[in-house]
Amino acid sequence: MKRFLETGNFAITEGAILGGCRFFCGYPITPATELAEAMSLRLPQVNGVYLQAEDECAAMHLCIGASLGGMKSMTATSGPGFILYADPYGWALGCEAPMVVMNSGRVGPVSGITGAPGQGEFYLTRYPTQGGNFETITLAPNSAQECLKIIVEAFYLSERLRMPITVLGDQLLTDGMEDISVPENDDEMKEMGLRVWPRLYHKGPDFYPASDALDIPPVQMGYDTGALCSDWTPTVEGYDIEEVEEHHKHAYRLIYKVRNNPQLYEDFYEKKYMDDDPDLVVVSYGTPSRVVNTAVERARSEGLKVGALRLINLWPFPDRHFSRKTKYLVVELNWDGQLVREVQRAAPKDAEVKFLGCCGDLPTIPDLMETFTKMLKNQPLERKGWVLEAW
Amino acid sequence: MKDRLEIVASGFGGQGVVRLGQTLGEAAVKQGLRVTMLKSHGTEMRGGYVRSQVVLSQKAIDSPMCETPDVFLALSSSAYNRFKDTVPAEGIIVYDPAFVEEIDASLPCRQIAVPAKDIAVRNFKRPIFSNAVALGSLAKLLETMLEKNVVLESFLEVIPKYKDENRNAFEMGYETMNI
Repeated sequence: MKRFLETGNFAITEGAILGGCRFFCGYPITPATELAEAMSLRLPQVNGVYLQAEDECAAMHLCIGASLGGMKSMTATSGPGFILYADPYGWALGCEAPMVVMNSGRVGPVSGITGAPGQGEFYLTRYPTQGGNFETITLAPNSAQECLKIIVEAFYLSERLRMPITVLGDQLLTDGMEDISVPENDDEMKEMGLRVWPRLYHKGPDFYPASDALDIPPVQMGYDTGALCSDWTPTVEGYDIEEVEEHHKHAYRLIYKVRNNPQLYEDFYEKKYMDDDPDLVVVSYGTPSRVVNTAVERARSEGLKVGALRLINLWPFPDRHFSRKTKYLVVELNWDGQLVREVQRAAPKDAEVKFLGCCGDLPTIPDLMETFTKMLKNQPLERKGWVLEAW
Repeated sequence: MKDRLEIVASGFGGQGVVRLGQTLGEAAVKQGLRVTMLKSHGTEMRGGYVRSQVVLSQKAIDSPMCETPDVFLALSSSAYNRFKDTVPAEGIIVYDPAFVEEIDASLPCRQIAVPAKDIAVRNFKRPIFSNAVALGSLAKLLETMLEKNVVLESFLEVIPKYKDENRNAFEMGYETMNI
């Protein structure tokens, strides 16, 4: 095991390689540029391929090609590039091509602020492409060390479910540096709780079964398999077709292979001080959760009954965490409020759901403490320097 | 050792603020500490604002934010003005008077001037070595926590060029710091 002071981008690269990734194609963008840089250095060392495409759309299409050729593939970008994945993301979902898509959020909209963290793609990772009739999975780690594990897990999920998996981070996660421990072999991986599994290959029909079954290896082109990959509805036999009933079967699989197998992703969350039915639950994901954890610890030391719920699995949204009628405070790195909408939907109708948003920087502990206190005393929340109507 | 030590360095892009934070972080990793280091910056490579925030601890670190820095290195007036009020009474501000022209005398913390740019220009004829001087002065301040030689060794790894100049500049910064 080696110990480094390194960026989240480095941890993601090493995690991907440990997970078997041997093909990376992307288009550099802050704050994921160092990820492309690290991949361009590391992949050739492990007999992998690094390609820089002309843009993000081409990059993810190339990853689909590599995936259908039997390679574990990955691409990475930030918000302005993630939006260009819209077309290939749909292809990858439809053709059931496993791969990992990393999105490191910065402040939007459009190019926004490059060197500051944002969480503006919460919904975009649920609906990364057009057309509907699909389910997606998004995982959001909050430290460089956790990136290592989550990326490996994302590759695993992508193969078992035959679909792209999005890993959502932010600028502080990918550009920030931390001490990380990187395993050097399978035994060390297992010791550190990282999954080790063989790559499976699909050698024959049924290519696109109309079921929610897991463990159907990814379709692999060539090798006399004869399966077709197109933007039309695939049939069980591996042809394509434009026909409603066949499309119903296809859509059923794309939605229910995910929904009916929650055991694969539902354990990705972290709870702190949540065992005594806290009066206030602070909900967050990604880097802000680390400040929330510190603030909640301080609140507890001051006798406030506050708990922290950190979501790692964002989509499918884990409604079950919000069944209790209590107060919820949702902390996000945006001013418009995205995760808070889902919490409002999932929580009981008479639960109190409030929002604390930040734009370009993490929330501060004094701000969090003040908000906790006000919510617990049923006082109205004021905004400093910015007024939000809705929440 | 404190439970959690926070160090902020801020200035313009190109001054070596990120490398400086990285060096302290590397040294801490070598000494078995837990480390986080955040860097924030504008779009520009040079001239924009840059800040690095380093947290050192013996335990796992939750928040990587330096909200009450123990040490704040200010390498521009705007950085000084932006973060000076976050430094608590027991904290220390280290500033380079070549970049920070006006000092707020009402602050409760100690403020130490380190003429890093002057030393660099005088001795090496190039301001680029001023971050080595600044780092040397921080190494003196942090001596109870990070061994000086480990900091210097990490610095020469992080910046593998101009080793002799960087080593000398580092030593000059170390000698300049009076505490």
